[in-house]
Amino acid sequence: MDIKAALKALTEETGVSGDEFSASRKVAELLTQYADGVSVDDFGNVTGFIKCGRPNAKTLLLDAHIDSVGLIVTYIDEKGFLSVGTCGSPDIKTYLAQSVTVHGKRAVQGVVSALPPHVSKDNKAPEIGDISIDVGITKEQAEEVISLGDRVTVNSRFRELCGSLISAPAVDDRSGVCAILEALDILKGKSLRYDLAVCFSAQEETGSRGAKQAAFRIQADEAIAVDVSFGRTPDSDPKETAMLGSGVMIGFSPCLDKGMSNALRELAKRCNIPFTSEVMPDLTSTNTDEIAVAGKGAKCCTLSFPIRYMHTSVETVDLNDISATARLIAEYAGGVANA
Amino acid sequence: MLERLKELCLLNGASGDEARVREFIRMNIRADKVFKDNLGNLIAFKKGRKSPKHKIMFAAHMDEVGFMITDADEDGFLSFGAVGGINPAVTLGRGVTLESGASGVIGTKAIHQQSSDERKKIPDFGDLYIDIGAAFREEAEQLAPRGSYAYFDADFFEFGDGFVKGKAIDDRAGCLVMMDLINDGPEYDAWYAFTVQEEVGTRGAKAAAFTVAPDIAVVLETTTACDVAGVSGARRVCELGKGAVVSFMDRSTVYDRGLYSLAFETAKANGIPVQTKTLVAGGNDSGAIHVSAGGVRTCAISVPCRYLHSPSCVIKMSDFEAVKALAELMLSAVGEL
Repeated sequence: MDIKAALKALTEETGVSGDEFSASRKVAELLTQYADGVSVDDFGNVTGFIKCGRPNAKTLLLDAHIDSVGLIVTYIDEKGFLSVGTCGSPDIKTYLAQSVTVHGKRAVQGVVSALPPHVSKDNKAPEIGDISIDVGITKEQAEEVISLGDRVTVNSRFRELCGSLISAPAVDDRSGVCAILEALDILKGKSLRYDLAVCFSAQEETGSRGAKQAAFRIQADEAIAVDVSFGRTPDSDPKETAMLGSGVMIGFSPCLDKGMSNALRELAKRCNIPFTSEVMPDLTSTNTDEIAVAGKGAKCCTLSFPIRYMHTSVETVDLNDISATARLIAEYAGGVANA
Repeated sequence: MLERLKELCLLNGASGDEARVREFIRMNIRADKVFKDNLGNLIAFKKGRKSPKHKIMFAAHMDEVGFMITDADEDGFLSFGAVGGINPAVTLGRGVTLESGASGVIGTKAIHQQSSDERKKIPDFGDLYIDIGAAFREEAEQLAPRGSYAYFDADFFEFGDGFVKGKAIDDRAGCLVMMDLINDGPEYDAWYAFTVQEEVGTRGAKAAAFTVAPDIAVVLETTTACDVAGVSGARRVCELGKGAVVSFMDRSTVYDRGLYSLAFETAKANGIPVQTKTLVAGGNDSGAIHVSAGGVRTCAISVPCRYLHSPSCVIKMSDFEAVKALAELMLSAVGEL
């Protein structure tokens, strides 16, 4: 699979938490090449299944979330400016004078407005209540095309940086989706150790709500959640970040299955897949927090890779890290090297 | 009109790097005399149907705000400074284009990893960096040598009820009005200075005004409008949709009272919407021009603009049309003085 092309196609779709359908449909279309019974449920969760053909095979759930952070329209003022709230936790500091689209009855273009320095009392970073969307129409005109609850996204774009680095909106977690699709591509036609269930889940950013529903339905024995983690930047703490290009990050946490984490680490070593260990001494803040305790419970591990500028519209990822993650998933699910 | 404004705004030309804009303008004006001076100002003379008693000069600046690369670190991240007055907030989470054509982005560590103090504070340029994805210093320096420029990678579009959004509308809008004045066959002879380095202290205009030595100058600009949510009364400064802005005073100039009145009378007599600024703020090339040599009677006609010096300058095209119409009528009006 061409990971770059898939990432471009996926990041061009909008899917702010709770309104993922545009992205969900695109993902479902890509998943259909690899899985059976692909469907999009009422919440926007996309699921599909691949049977290994063995009797009594265990089910391995591969999860990545389809939603991304964004804004939601909460009010239209008398001059037609829109007040907004957050879906998830976007970095509001990055929104001043951004070019945005309001996803109303049609796409409405606008600009993020805030009090200019000569009017605001200090130069503090704006909070969500300080910004509004300037759509250049009156309240009456706005009400015809925009409804309260419509989502707002930044008009960013897919940028190729040096080497294998890509910057785009919603890399969190469309790149995780890409890693799973690439793993399925590697596994195509190969024998599997598990029955695979794939879930591209909705509403992770608002509290792993989609995964909670889908995992209950799937009742997997084991699950791997693929999500993004923190990449090294000059202003970050090296202890809390990984270098881009350092490979897949294997999760260790009291909420994850130690056996699975160890097995994945051994497998990465054996298969020469670049990796680091990501230690989370509390919850993981990924979908595994919910998947592990959905229904009868499932053994879980996280596979992540580092991105820079998380929760902004210029999230930056190394394609090689997505590829390393895909290879490790494929080895775990299918034992490609042993086959 | 919109297409040509778009073309002009998408050209990258920060202070000191105006060549692309200058060449575009030079190729697209039909003047009687055109030359580039030592600083890079493009100065044109266009004969009209009549010769005025006084020497008249129009001025608009070609440069925009941007960034200059100051260093690269061992991991390939670029340090940079602002060229012109930019609020660092409008650079966060933005894409940039390097002079070499390489793409980059500006960000900070993730919101999750920021302390509560960091979340509340807009970083200074000294704390920010451009990420072009370079793996090490040499790779970064090759694509972005010290002293090279970077620009907002910003879209340009029409939206809402006749509004336009883009970078560098300040002051390509003024440049476009001057290009049209030249090409439309003006009533009076006049000089036209497309100036450099306005954003770093109206430096080009100093030299241009000396060279042309006008008696009367009309500066065509964009000016801050704060007619946004949460701002009322005088603090709105001026408003989009209310026409051309003629200022009586800003931070760099107390404008010629006679010309100020003449602009208002001319606009009113011809049904052109006109307004003034309700706050003494900002400044433009007038500051350099009106004190040039023995003094120059100066007025400024501006397009009101929201979010100046950001990748999303916003103007209303009806205001642009008003500025254009008033500029043409002002040439005739001052030609008769």
